[in-house]
Amino acid sequence: MSWASATPPGTQPGYASYAHGRYNTSVRRFATLPSTHSTSSAMPCPSNPRHSVAANVSPPPAATAYTPVPVRQGFGQPYTLQPQYAAYATPTNPPPAPAAPLQNHNSSSKRSTGLTSHAKDAGIMYTTEWDNMPLPQVLVRTHRAAQLEAQQRASQMMASAWSNSAMTTASAEPVHATANHHNNSKKRKSSDFSESDPSSGTPWRSNKKLSKLSLSDRISQPPAWIRFNTAEYKTYRSPSPPPPTGPILGTCTNLEKNYLRLTAPPKPSLVRPEHILHQTLDLLKKKWRKENNYNYICDQFKSLRQDLTVQRIKNEFTVSVYEIHARIALEKGDLGEYNQCQTQLRALYASGIKGNAVEFKAYRILYFIHTANRTALNDAIADLTTADKEERAIKHALEVRSALALGNYHRFFQLYLDVPNMGAYLMDMFVKRERLAALANMCKAYKPDFKLRFITEELAFESDAEAAQFIIDHNGQHLLIERDDSIMFLAGNAKALFETARADAHRRVDLKGQI
Amino acid sequence: MDSLIKEFKTAYADQLGNDLAKTLTPDVPNNAAQLLSVWESGNSQSIKDDLKFLFVRDKSARLNMSSDEAVGWQEIYYSYWKALGEILAAEGLRKSRVKTSWTSVYEAWKELTSQIIRGYTNHEFENWTIPCLYIAGKYMRLYAMRADAERGNNGDDMVTNFQDDFDPETEKHKSLEDCARQLNRIFNLCLSDRAPLAESRKWGIYYAINLLFKTYFKLNSAALSKNVLRVLSAGRGDMPDFESFPKSQQVTFKYYEGVLAFLEENYEEAEKHLTLAWLLCHKGATRNMELILTYLIPCHLLTTHTLPSEKLLAPFPRLQALFLKLATAIKKGDLRGFHQALQEGEEEFVKRRIYLTLERGRDIALRNLLRKVFIAGGFLEGAGGEAQVRRTRIPVSEFAAAIRMSGGQDIDTDEVECLLANMIYKNLMKGYIAHERGFVVLSKNGAFPGTGV
Repeated sequence: MSWASATPPGTQPGYASYAHGRYNTSVRRFATLPSTHSTSSAMPCPSNPRHSVAANVSPPPAATAYTPVPVRQGFGQPYTLQPQYAAYATPTNPPPAPAAPLQNHNSSSKRSTGLTSHAKDAGIMYTTEWDNMPLPQVLVRTHRAAQLEAQQRASQMMASAWSNSAMTTASAEPVHATANHHNNSKKRKSSDFSESDPSSGTPWRSNKKLSKLSLSDRISQPPAWIRFNTAEYKTYRSPSPPPPTGPILGTCTNLEKNYLRLTAPPKPSLVRPEHILHQTLDLLKKKWRKENNYNYICDQFKSLRQDLTVQRIKNEFTVSVYEIHARIALEKGDLGEYNQCQTQLRALYASGIKGNAVEFKAYRILYFIHTANRTALNDAIADLTTADKEERAIKHALEVRSALALGNYHRFFQLYLDVPNMGAYLMDMFVKRERLAALANMCKAYKPDFKLRFITEELAFESDAEAAQFIIDHNGQHLLIERDDSIMFLAGNAKALFETARADAHRRVDLKGQI
Repeated sequence: MDSLIKEFKTAYADQLGNDLAKTLTPDVPNNAAQLLSVWESGNSQSIKDDLKFLFVRDKSARLNMSSDEAVGWQEIYYSYWKALGEILAAEGLRKSRVKTSWTSVYEAWKELTSQIIRGYTNHEFENWTIPCLYIAGKYMRLYAMRADAERGNNGDDMVTNFQDDFDPETEKHKSLEDCARQLNRIFNLCLSDRAPLAESRKWGIYYAINLLFKTYFKLNSAALSKNVLRVLSAGRGDMPDFESFPKSQQVTFKYYEGVLAFLEENYEEAEKHLTLAWLLCHKGATRNMELILTYLIPCHLLTTHTLPSEKLLAPFPRLQALFLKLATAIKKGDLRGFHQALQEGEEEFVKRRIYLTLERGRDIALRNLLRKVFIAGGFLEGAGGEAQVRRTRIPVSEFAAAIRMSGGQDIDTDEVECLLANMIYKNLMKGYIAHERGFVVLSKNGAFPGTGV
């Protein structure tokens, strides 16, 4: 014990239960140490000290020769009262981290075994009036009651699903415990072993207090630890129950709801359940057709999507919501929203939910052509199956991509004139850029001139006038002259005019990147 | 445990970083029995004290280290022992316990990594012990990937996110993303050391970076590697010379640097880095050479328009399968063959992210085809005794015929002109198209730059 007490004292009363772990080890240490320094010789048998001590206690009269009668009355009980503890007493040699159970579990066994051995060591076993001391299991029970109360309070507030999941978490085995629990138990554990002064850390005995903690102890223990005495533990947990691990179930019945970005766990009273959302979607579709108010619709769809997400609804309805929102966003050129929908849709399709996968895979390729995102484009192609590549929409998108990659503007503008579904909205976004690229190309390759009509046809303008306007818009009026009865384009004189414009247009998209 | 610590002490006394790291290596496939005995020699109750005894109190084998440092090592071996328990359980090697998850293995190993990092920040570890950090990082990445793979479609996502939409990528790679953050800590730990170079942790930086790169590539966010490179080039002044790092680290780093440039379509830069990696690469590391060539060959195709020779590809059957057909088609100017080869390899090319680059090889194939047309055009009657001059006015229809033959598809004249315009625009062909008159005028000298005609 002399060396064990070298590290400074310092345990909080509420933490007493954990500090007791140390007694087990130090007791054991006495058994192994004097015989040999090489502990491993004594260790290979996977005996669990906790188990062996427990065995000493559970059949009270036989094993513990040194315990007087009044002690035994109190301390024989925990093991009969708490059968679930048997699991921990089996000689399984579990690794500490996951084996460090929730507060209540650990404390019960250690309180009892630690108490006796500690009392024995300190030589006060025969002098203490054990009958008047608060029993460890009583402390444990208070804990439990407090926790239960907190949970019940929470469950009254929350919908049933939520509280259920909270309860399961609280009573689950450590493996299923939340990360929070893991961290705490780990930290407790380390403090548990590093403190070795036998005279501290027992609530019934002393309050050698924080002042006696060495600096290193205080540093190694997080502030949360300090708060963890019995009284404050309750108030620490009860006001905000741990975040639910499962999805919530909404109870709101309003069809419309304004979008608001969540900054805290959602309240079920403000979330609409799926059957309400179905009605919402119908309403929104009607309104969109009638009023065509994009701001309103977009806001409504965002709240709709949010409700789906917080309830973790992922089914064909979800897909249709995203698809409809994506189409509306496309129509209005709102690429930001479109892209969000598209990302979700990709994941939803990938998880096997039916929808218009082909249509949206094609959009996705066109979208990445627009944003010139090569990496994403590569991923989009990698996503395609052989069957996909036979679909008209996807084939079209792939051809667009290939035409652009090879600079084949002739083919590109032919494809532009014949786009399946709503892909034209996407192609409109980059057609101007590609027209500039094509013109830059032509200006370098053609001499001395050609008819404006050729541009109109090659670059898919609707009329010569539109083509001329496009050239004039880019300061190319001097390149157009009338000869005979047609307008000629002086490609050879254009020099770098369109090359600069092309570079500008491409740079702009690069900067914008993922809009 | 005793034997392990004994190994540790020997390695420590001789200051052998790699031997030291070996004591922390959970190489289960090769070492299962030994690791199991290490694990079984401890138990959760007494291990901490055992270690304390071995490190701090055992006077018989005192090491020349401060007690502070000893505490650091003691914590590390405690974490290692715990992690080992999880690993063995996850591998199904422990008799007495049900299988745990790789996620908990990852968590336990992460704890060990944190302890090692703490060793450097709080416990005055010296820089020759850095291989321990390598081992920690290496296995952390492996366990994170196994954890993610295992979780896979279990769908036990406990996170409540406040996002409007769920993020499929994060859910799939939760552990690995966390791992990337931890590796970043290691990177910063190495980067931020201000000790003189001889004792600096900066010597660990390329190992850390290479691990980070691997992780980012796996996470499909190679772009994040850019940040690392930026930080690195900012601090390059106080860094040891790149050449003085181990060659293995140089090769890996240059490879990734090259691939990153490649993905950004900066082929000249990519070629520079990859060539360096290629030259440094150990001649026995076939797999690495193969990887380097996978990107270096497309690079060369675009920058210098050169193709790999059969001799170069001879030792790499996999690369032969990838590139040989394509190369032949390009050389012959065989458009249909090129198209077929590209389609056959598409899946593989896309996976390696070279599809979009290789596709541009079509330009070279087309250039070679057009060059043939030009040569087939023959020579004009030389005026007097002057050197023969090639026919430089070639009707578009001749090119169109060649493209039709080679491509096996019908193609209209406007599209042929478009392709020709592209050739000229990209400087693969010199000359101009006279649209109204329907022929191409090619330059008298060097109509096809770099090809000798």
